[in-house]
Amino acid sequence: MISLPFADVTYYEPWWVQIIKAIVIFAVGLQLVPVVLVVERKLLGRFQHRYGPNRVGPFGALQPLADIVKLATKEQFRPRTSIGWLFAIAPVISILTAVAALSLVPFGGVVDIFGTDVGLYGVDVSIGPLYLFAFGAVAFYGIMLGGWSSGSKYSFLGSMRAAAQLISYEVSQGLALVGVVMTAGTLSMSGIVEAQEGMWYVIPQFVGFIIFLTASFAETNRPPFDLVEADAELVGGYNTEYGGGRFASYFFAEYLNVVVVSGIVVTVFFGGWLLPFGIDTPGWLQPFVVLFKMTFFIVFFIWIRATLPRLRYDQLMSFGWKVLLPLATLNALVTAIVVVATD
Amino acid sequence: MAAVFFFIAGLGAIAGAIGVVTTRNPFYAVLALVGHLLSLAALFLLLRAEFVAAAQVVVYAGAVMVLYVFVVAYVGGQADPVRVAGGPALKVGAVVFAALLAIELFIAVLGSGLKALDSEGAPYEAGFGTPGAIGELFLTRFLFPFEAASFLLLIAAVGAVVLARRRGGLVGGDPRDLAPVDVPRPLGTGTMREAVSGQVGTPAELAEPPVTAPAGDERGGW
Repeated sequence: MISLPFADVTYYEPWWVQIIKAIVIFAVGLQLVPVVLVVERKLLGRFQHRYGPNRVGPFGALQPLADIVKLATKEQFRPRTSIGWLFAIAPVISILTAVAALSLVPFGGVVDIFGTDVGLYGVDVSIGPLYLFAFGAVAFYGIMLGGWSSGSKYSFLGSMRAAAQLISYEVSQGLALVGVVMTAGTLSMSGIVEAQEGMWYVIPQFVGFIIFLTASFAETNRPPFDLVEADAELVGGYNTEYGGGRFASYFFAEYLNVVVVSGIVVTVFFGGWLLPFGIDTPGWLQPFVVLFKMTFFIVFFIWIRATLPRLRYDQLMSFGWKVLLPLATLNALVTAIVVVATD
Repeated sequence: MAAVFFFIAGLGAIAGAIGVVTTRNPFYAVLALVGHLLSLAALFLLLRAEFVAAAQVVVYAGAVMVLYVFVVAYVGGQADPVRVAGGPALKVGAVVFAALLAIELFIAVLGSGLKALDSEGAPYEAGFGTPGAIGELFLTRFLFPFEAASFLLLIAAVGAVVLARRRGGLVGGDPRDLAPVDVPRPLGTGTMREAVSGQVGTPAELAEPPVTAPAGDERGGW
């Protein structure tokens, strides 16, 4: 038995279970992205009083397939001023970290499948959210190196904005989770879900939820915080010079990040696989409960994109440092006092 | 299995460290340092110190190095390789100090580490390296260093705000709009420009010369 160097797991799974789990979770994540893509385009169309894609397949449902074929068959080229190897590996970093973060989302508790105890999640590490932030930190290099190695002003400006924005909002995002961690008394993601039996943390930790959601919009570079790729100012931001498969990688990573953040919000604030009113969730239903709740937040992301205009850069910074951060600190402080007082 | 990971991470750490000191382009030197820090995090994971590993990545690779990358990408142009600063005395001193450090490390390794090579290593207790265990140590055994370090960081943060305000912050225009106390600043005390270019002077003396591409630089001009 190989002792796992990381993950303080309370039980051991056979290695083949872990490989199957990894493939299943990756496949589900991979399939979610085109669905999110077409849903976003259809919904944006409706929000803007137009049809959205409706030519490819029934109701335009096959549009992502057409997009993928188009991107995959496109010629690869790069600017003369770019730096080849960095230009090539930067999208890989982005996609790698997004997929790695997906493994943290628990789709269910430990269930019995053909006599083997299987946890319906990729990994259940004892450091929980820190794992998420560690990969978020590395994800920054995907955007930064991509923009810098393109050798283009617009890309460079986009990646510089990414640097400032990601640092500023990661702090608030982390502090917003501190309240939940203190209330649950554990950093393990499935432990946080199990601690929500009876009451989802969105009620006692409502302020934390709002802060986390807002900071997550900034961390995923979604409108109204999409200054990193502000089309109107920067052509396309850090990915201006990218095309074909490499652009698709960035695109995929961005949408996968939306899926991951929705999963984290569901896990941390909306009881993960738990059903409301104390209804017992059977094991086979748990992943579908999580996916259903995630759908709600993915649509919420799209809704916000269609509703709010982009912030100005200085507004973004002062909002992050002067509003969100003090609020998150205050939330952590009040939660700590309440936890100690009611203990 | 663990041995394979150990050697991959160890080689990564050494290669990164060598890259930092040998690369002439500051941007690549910073990237090599990032690679070194990530390899160190992997080594921490192998030692079952998952909290330290995550903190290493979040704090060093995610915050400190991001700032380095930010500054180097902005002001350290790539056509601007790092030059060896200082005279011959500094060079000799560097070699002497490096040799002293190497001797010290050898003494430490030979004195304590070699005996442990064949053994199983320190016993692993359940819960070692988890955030809970580390938090408990912080608040019991290492309470004073922990509090001292947090005060130090607080002072540094306040100092950064004061310095930024004194220099007019990010906003252009009259710095007195922002500074609550107008403290006169001696020249050469730490603006980013002084740190990077080594030039010291009033803003008028340091007026920016027009940016021109050096001859033969394909990437120049942006």
